[in-house]
Amino acid sequence: MVIFYCDGSVDGIFTAVYDAWASRLGHENVALRIGGQMNYELFAEYRKTGTDAGKAQKVARSVRRKMGLDAYQTIYQAALSKEPERADCIYRVLVRGMSASVTPYEARNVIWNLQNTDVCRLFELSRKTGNEAHRYLQFVRFRELENGVLFSEIQAENQVLPLVGDHFADRFPNEDFMIYDIGHNDCLIHGRQRPWFILRDTEPEKEVTGRSSEREAMMQQLWRGFCQSIAIEERKNLRLQQQFWPLKFRKWMTENPQEKDDGKCQKKDGGKYLDENCHLC
Amino acid sequence: MEIAKEMDLYQKLAILTDAAKYDVACTSSGVERKGSGKGMGNCAAAGICHSFSADGRCISLLKILFTNECVFDCRYCINRSSNDIQRASFTPDEVCTLTMEFYRRNYIEGLFLSSGILKNPTYTMELLYQTLYKLRYECRFEGYIHVKAIPGANKELIARTGFLADRMSVNLELPTAEGLKKLAPHKTRKRILTPMRQVQLMTRQNKNELALFSHAPQFVPAGQSTQMIIGATPENDYQILSVAESLYQKFELKRVFYSAFVQVNEDALLPSLPGGPPLLREHRLYQADWLLRFYGFKAQELLSESHPNFNVFLDPKCDWALSHLDQYPVEVNTADYYTLLRVPGIGPKSAQRIVRARRLGSLDYPALKKAGVVLKRAVYFITCGGRQMYPLKIEEDFILRNLLYSKSKAPSETVTYRQLSLFDDGQMFGEVPQELLQAGV
Repeated sequence: MVIFYCDGSVDGIFTAVYDAWASRLGHENVALRIGGQMNYELFAEYRKTGTDAGKAQKVARSVRRKMGLDAYQTIYQAALSKEPERADCIYRVLVRGMSASVTPYEARNVIWNLQNTDVCRLFELSRKTGNEAHRYLQFVRFRELENGVLFSEIQAENQVLPLVGDHFADRFPNEDFMIYDIGHNDCLIHGRQRPWFILRDTEPEKEVTGRSSEREAMMQQLWRGFCQSIAIEERKNLRLQQQFWPLKFRKWMTENPQEKDDGKCQKKDGGKYLDENCHLC
Repeated sequence: MEIAKEMDLYQKLAILTDAAKYDVACTSSGVERKGSGKGMGNCAAAGICHSFSADGRCISLLKILFTNECVFDCRYCINRSSNDIQRASFTPDEVCTLTMEFYRRNYIEGLFLSSGILKNPTYTMELLYQTLYKLRYECRFEGYIHVKAIPGANKELIARTGFLADRMSVNLELPTAEGLKKLAPHKTRKRILTPMRQVQLMTRQNKNELALFSHAPQFVPAGQSTQMIIGATPENDYQILSVAESLYQKFELKRVFYSAFVQVNEDALLPSLPGGPPLLREHRLYQADWLLRFYGFKAQELLSESHPNFNVFLDPKCDWALSHLDQYPVEVNTADYYTLLRVPGIGPKSAQRIVRARRLGSLDYPALKKAGVVLKRAVYFITCGGRQMYPLKIEEDFILRNLLYSKSKAPSETVTYRQLSLFDDGQMFGEVPQELLQAGV
C-alpha cells in the first residue's frame, strides 16, 4: 500500500488524486490521507504530495467534463468538509466515475449511486458542508466598523467560506466586507465592485475590528428590540427555537438571547453587569 | 391628561412590530434573482431564514405595519379601532432606513409591509406604494419585498405596487363568508376576493409578456399568498382544507397560511381558549397543506363530511395510509414516483433519490436509510426486493400501536407469533396506552 498525503485544501486533495492516479500503482494499492489528520500505518509507504494548482485544475476540469457540473459541485463541497476520510472518499468515487471502462451515462450518474458506500459517504460529507454553509448564509451578522467596512466573525466546522462568497458578493456589490472564520483562521474579503477572495491564515487586527461605527450600537439595539417584540407570548416554544437555531451559532450573533441587553445595562470587563437592580441582568 | 410625545424610532419599531406579529407569512421564497451589481440585494429561490423568535417561528423579513391606526373594527384584531392601544406610524423614509441598514448587516432577507387602514384603503395603499417606490428606486434595494394588497383600494395602485413587490397577499381572514360577516363587519368576502383575482389575472398576463420580452418588468414574481385564522369560528378541518384547495386551484395561490387564533381581545363573539391557541390543529393543517401541494393528495381523500377533523395522534399521511392498507406494501425498487410519495416516511427528496439511485442497481434497506427515508414509519408500508425489513403484520391495529409506541426508532424485533394458551386475555403487544383508550382508538 502506498499512501499519498496532502494538505487539507481542495487543491491539495485534487493534486493528490492526480499523483495517485498517475503513479500507476493500481487503484487498490493506493490510498489518500490528509496530513495532520492521519495515523501512520505499519506496512505502508508514504509519499507527500504538494499543492500544484495546474494538476488540481486538470482534475477539476476533467471531473466537470466527464461527470457533469452537479457531480463536481458535490465533490468540491465534500473536499471542503472537515472529515479526514474525505480525500480517500473522493478518490474512490472518481475511480468509479472516470475510469476508461465507464460509459458516459454511468459517469454522469455515479453520484446518484447511493447504494455504494463511498458514494454515499461522499454524498453525506457534501450535504453536511452544504448545510453548514447555508446556516451561515442565515446567521452571519455584520457590524459596521469605524472605517465603514462590514465585519463578521464565524466559527465554522467545515470550510464554508468558499461556498458563501458568491452569495454575499452578489448581495452587497457596493460594500467592503470581511468574514473571519475563527476555526480555520481564514478571511473572506470583498472590496466594492471587485471580486471576492480568501486570505488563508490571517487574523484581522483586533485594534481595528474592535471599533464600531457611531450608529452601529443603535442599529443593534433596534434589531434586538425587533426580535423581542416579534415573538408571540402565547406561542412561546424555546425548544422549537433552539431546534432551528442551535446554540453554537448564537455566540457571534447580535440578537443572542443569552446576552440579555436592553441598551440599559453595560458589561464590565469581567462579564458582570454594572446595574445590579436591572431585572434583565 | 397625557400628551403624546414625539416617539423615537425604537418605540415605533416596537409598537409596529408588535402589531404585525400576528401575520404568519414570513417566507422569502419563490423568486431567484441575482443582483444587478448597482444596488444592494438579491433573492434566493429557497428563501433564507435569518433568525428565530422565542416562539420558534422564523424571522426572515422585517415584518412591520406601516401604521397601526385603523378605521376598521374587526373583533379578532389587536389593532381594531375600538381598542385603546398606543398608535404609531412610520414615514416612508424610516421604513427605508430600517430595511437598508438591517439588510446590510444580514439581519433580514427583505421587507414585509402591511398596514392598518388609515383614512381609507386607497390612501393607505398609496402610502405603501410610495414607500416601496422609494426603497426600489432611491435606495436601490433589490431584496425581497412582501406587501399587502389592501381590499377596496384603487386597482391602478395595486397594479403599480405589484410591479415593485415580489409577493403580494390579501388575507382571507376567516375560512367562510359567514364567519367574516360576524367577526369583521367592515369586510366582505367579495371585497377580499376582488384584489386576489386582479393579482392572479395580472400575473397570468405578465407571464405572457415575459415570454415575448424577457426584460419586461415582472409583476409579483413570487406569486400571492393568503392567510386564515383557525379556531375563531366553528368551521371544521374539512371546510378549511377545501377552501385552501380551491384557493390553490381557482386563484393559483402560492401559499395559504393558517394562523392559530390567539385571543388578544375580550369579546363576546370570540371563543375562549383556555388551553392556549390551537397549535396542534394548525400543525395538522400545515401537514395536510403540504400533502396537497407536493404529494398529489386531494382534500376529499384526506377528510370527508363523515370524517371532518384530523386525527390528533397521527399525521394526515399516516392516517390516510392506515385507512388504505389494501394499497400496501409498496415495492421500493419498482413502484413509480407518485406511489412512493404516498408512503409514510418517504418525502419528495427521498423519493427522487430512490428513483435516481435504483436506475444504477437495486436498493436495500441501509441504502434507503441513507437516502433519507424515515424507516420507523416506512417500514410497515414497504418491501425491498420483495422482502419486509422484519416480519411485520400489515394490520391496522398493529401498525397504529407501533407507530404511536416507538416514538424514536423502528422496531428492531417484533414477535408476530406466540404459543397459544387457554387462559389469556388475547393481548399480544402489551398494554394499550392510557391516552389511546381515552381517545377511543
